[in-house]
Amino acid sequence: MKISLRIYLTFIIFSVFSFSCSKARYIDEPGNLVPKTVDQDATLPSISVNGALLHSEAFGPEDSTLIICIHGGPGADYRYMLNCKTLATKGYRVVFYDQRGAGLSQRFPKSWYKSQSSDAINKIFYDELRGVIAHYKTSASQKVILLGQSWGAMLATGYTGKYPADVYGLIVAEPGGLKWDDVVDYISESRSFKLWSEALNDATYIDQFMTGKEDQHEILDYKAGLMGSTNAIVGDVGSDLGNNAPSYVASRSGAVVNAASYELGQDFKPDFSAGINNFSTKTLFIYSSNNKAYPDSWAARIAAAYPNKEIFKAQGVGHSGMFDHVNFWTTTMEPKIISYIQSL
Amino acid sequence: MKVITLKSIITIIAFSFFQNKMYAQAVNWENTSKQNKNLLHANIGAEYGVTAGLGYHHLIPVKRFPLWIGGEFSIPAGNELADDFKVRLGTQIRIAGLNHFQFSARVQGIARRYHNQSVTLFNFGSDFAGTLGYYRKHWFLGAEAGFDKAIVIHFKHSDWYKKNIYDNVQDGWYEPATGGNFYYGLQGSYSIKKVDITIKAGKILQQDFKSQPLLPFYGQLGINFRF
Repeated sequence: MKISLRIYLTFIIFSVFSFSCSKARYIDEPGNLVPKTVDQDATLPSISVNGALLHSEAFGPEDSTLIICIHGGPGADYRYMLNCKTLATKGYRVVFYDQRGAGLSQRFPKSWYKSQSSDAINKIFYDELRGVIAHYKTSASQKVILLGQSWGAMLATGYTGKYPADVYGLIVAEPGGLKWDDVVDYISESRSFKLWSEALNDATYIDQFMTGKEDQHEILDYKAGLMGSTNAIVGDVGSDLGNNAPSYVASRSGAVVNAASYELGQDFKPDFSAGINNFSTKTLFIYSSNNKAYPDSWAARIAAAYPNKEIFKAQGVGHSGMFDHVNFWTTTMEPKIISYIQSL
Repeated sequence: MKVITLKSIITIIAFSFFQNKMYAQAVNWENTSKQNKNLLHANIGAEYGVTAGLGYHHLIPVKRFPLWIGGEFSIPAGNELADDFKVRLGTQIRIAGLNHFQFSARVQGIARRYHNQSVTLFNFGSDFAGTLGYYRKHWFLGAEAGFDKAIVIHFKHSDWYKKNIYDNVQDGWYEPATGGNFYYGLQGSYSIKKVDITIKAGKILQQDFKSQPLLPFYGQLGINFRF
């Protein structure tokens, strides 16, 4: 019992000294654990599209060819694509936007996404992209090129299939899948943690420290961000934006839009390849050598949906490294993309 | 923001006083004796990850309300075994019994740590549970339900996080309570001489009664050695 008493006293003393000099904070207060969104911080660049305030910026001559950068997720943000900003110095108008509920864009309840039902992909994502293009387009004849990565490539493909005449060029980097069954297979393959792994432990162990209700965005986004920082399977090791990084470091996951989108996908099994056979312009299809979940055979399977394409394998980088490694971007990706656009 | 309150400190101290035993160990109340007042136990299982634990408990033979006091240390699987852990100290007391049916309660104080590339978390929490079971000398089967509460939590983010994710993240102690999970399930054991083989399994639900943790169940296979 003497030993037990010592343990108690140690715990008590430690508890008192641990807290007595600290200030309390709330985990769901905007800005504490995750950055504020554009509706909470008016200093952030934003546009109003389709009933939502979106975090967005554009660079380059306003009247020149638009390149719309479409980030992954759903629920990631455009920060890792900011190396594409250098295309503005080559005469293009480069547009970035965080999709509704993702990055620093405005949040919406999960029930709102689910209420869109079978037309969700149209109403949430295609209409939003159409609104972004309309916002930045200065004339009817201005050319539009879509540049999407991962989920963004799926979205760009689906949009192009729906509005083939509105798209001048299409660049897709590792769309996970276009048919829903392929999407599910790719997600499973790219996140197949081993039972004993540190990655799985990191994802599950935190649930006893923090729990968030269905629409507690700050908590859910924070936890999602901890899980999504790196992923060895797809070869993501962290970004290097060089001078392309903005003055603020503020990356934020959109946990609710991610979860809602996946549930909607399971319910309605969307086909992102619908109509893409009507797009006769050459598509630039890119995949990476370091993404173990995207071997040559998978690239060939997914690329088969595009009737006219050029396939390019990015050597030495992973899923996001095609865009977020400044050296690779400068030496390989940017020249490849410019060459593609000039070939159209 | 407010200065952390005296209430929090008192809460933690109160839990500290209750820390006579707290472990997710299954105890056969029909199989306790004054000759075997000590219990060593080891377990492996799943509880917010794949985990392994070691513990010790001591029997206080209060006449109608015998109680076990002690603690347990557990770690999850992973490449870095020492970066995450959980310490639980507390007591488990038999409250009522009728024939072979008995009801016991468990009160535990918890200290736990989480570390990854982005952040190191340290949390003080509590765990309250009740078990109703049918106990025989060599075996028992029971149902348990409990609530695991994360009361206060300390965040310390890495330089990598501040450079790549969010440079203005606020480190320090966070309150009020940052999380809580209900759990319920079955447990049982079979005894051979001084050794008990124990097993428990159940489901975990977040405190909003709607959401689930990423691993929404728990399970544990353990061995007790009485001496």
